Amino acid sequence: MKIGVFKPWLFVFPALFIYTVVIFIPTLYTLYLSFFNWNGVAKEKTFVGLSNYTDLLLHDSVFPRAVANNLLWTLGSLTIIMGLGLMLAILLNQKLKGRIVFRGIFYFPYVLSGVIVATIWTWMYNPTQGFFNKVFELIGLGSWAQAWLAEPKFALYAVFVAAVWNGVGQPMVLFLAGLQTIPQDPYEAATIDGAKPWQMFCFITVPLLRETFVIVVAITMVAAMKVYDLIYAMTAGGPAESTHVLASWMYIQTFKFANIGIGSAISMFLVFITLVIIIPYVYYTTKKSHL
Amino acid sequence: MEQRVHPVSKALKYALIIVLAAIFLLPVLFITFTALKSSNDLLTRPFYMFPAKLQWHNFAQAWEQGRMSMYMKNTAFIALIKVPLGILIEALAAFALTRMAFKGSNWVFTLFLIGMMVPIQATLVPLNMILNKLGLVNTYPGIIFIYLGFGIPFGILILRGFFRTIPKEIDEAALIDGCGVMGKFFKIIIPLSMPAIATLFIFDFMATWNEFLLAQIFITQDSMRTITTGLLAFRGQYSANYPLMNAGVLLSVVPVLIVYVAFQKYFVSGLAGSVKG
Repeated sequence: MKIGVFKPWLFVFPALFIYTVVIFIPTLYTLYLSFFNWNGVAKEKTFVGLSNYTDLLLHDSVFPRAVANNLLWTLGSLTIIMGLGLMLAILLNQKLKGRIVFRGIFYFPYVLSGVIVATIWTWMYNPTQGFFNKVFELIGLGSWAQAWLAEPKFALYAVFVAAVWNGVGQPMVLFLAGLQTIPQDPYEAATIDGAKPWQMFCFITVPLLRETFVIVVAITMVAAMKVYDLIYAMTAGGPAESTHVLASWMYIQTFKFANIGIGSAISMFLVFITLVIIIPYVYYTTKKSHL
Repeated sequence: MEQRVHPVSKALKYALIIVLAAIFLLPVLFITFTALKSSNDLLTRPFYMFPAKLQWHNFAQAWEQGRMSMYMKNTAFIALIKVPLGILIEALAAFALTRMAFKGSNWVFTLFLIGMMVPIQATLVPLNMILNKLGLVNTYPGIIFIYLGFGIPFGILILRGFFRTIPKEIDEAALIDGCGVMGKFFKIIIPLSMPAIATLFIFDFMATWNEFLLAQIFITQDSMRTITTGLLAFRGQYSANYPLMNAGVLLSVVPVLIVYVAFQKYFVSGLAGSVKG
């Protein structure tokens, strides 16, 4: 088949152009800005080398909290959200009546925006009218009632509960898609050999879901590093800066404090951590696609 | 393994799934109840009690006074331009990457893949500078262009994954039938890829409808706001009127639900094809 040499480039061009202008060049420019002191308005930017980075690591009181919260969020996502998603997928992959309806119920919160989820759960946590405190009152545990989102000890966990409700549908659907590609014969053979259900899970399901696991782990970790909407709309990083993550701290530094250099450096930390997470995934998928 | 499931374990499974589903539905019931109550009901009738009188006008009030209608119109306009245009652009690129063996195609694909890893935050300041220079802050073309950019990596990944599963023999058959490259794209690849395109359509529509951070920065004028930033402004404005706020939440969910339900039959099948790479 004869195709001009330039023709494929014509097809790729619109995507490549928009992508380069919107993502590629701005990311490089942010890297450049992270070496400067700049308020975003002044004509002059002062070159400060790596000092934005060292300032964050050594002198910024919120930055370590934000990193720790991101890591906590990642850990929670990988265990609770992914684990619950896998459990639901396995349950709903079986011939239960109404499984389509159940899938819909667990997936539904995932189609909602972070702001909607945040609004719903802020209302659930409302100190006087909210669901949780009302239930505690009802069952005689009124003393447990809290201003959940205003208490530094609880706020991040309270937001994370909303994230579980919001996010469980995604790994569930991905695992369901993965489970449907597993053939039935290994299970039949294992049944004849007298395998227990948990043995079948560990030695057949998990290994055959390896590809799906790689995808889900990568997506989950990257999403956990980028988490922003829920945090911003539920606590805006408070109380007492206790719920900040890198993304929200970047936003505050850049757009509220006008510390463009510091904000850019935080972005670059995010890029760097995301790259470290994702490189094994890209390596895995590209290697496979060349087979 | 399904045939030898013990009846007791089957009952346990149902019990587990029903309890979990009930827990998952609680917040939805809670906001629906709140949305249908009067402010007075909210104080006097416990949350598990039905409203004394259903306050349907809360929805009308959120729609009109709360300017939900305006926020939704803005978002719908953006999404209905962005999503089809994005899919077309992504499909063209994915088509070249899978059906027109060319030098550097792997390099180009890797470049697109890198885009999936870049956090949006890392682009905000330069994008803000570009949009300000071009006078595109608070405009539809500005935000649509940026949304297009961020949709490209994922769209290409999904469509490329699907296009690769279409047998190469079809290309030869098309060639014999006198099909040009464009004909092959529009008459063969696109129709055959409808499940993947439908999947992408749902994902992209939901992502656009739900997008917050970019809208927060590039749309600051209230009359231009999208549903997410609009809802947040709405929340600030009516922070004491819980019924109205919850009515607004329910209203803003409807369009995504419609799109999801309409396309969901493609969902798992389209996804299964695509995530396998």
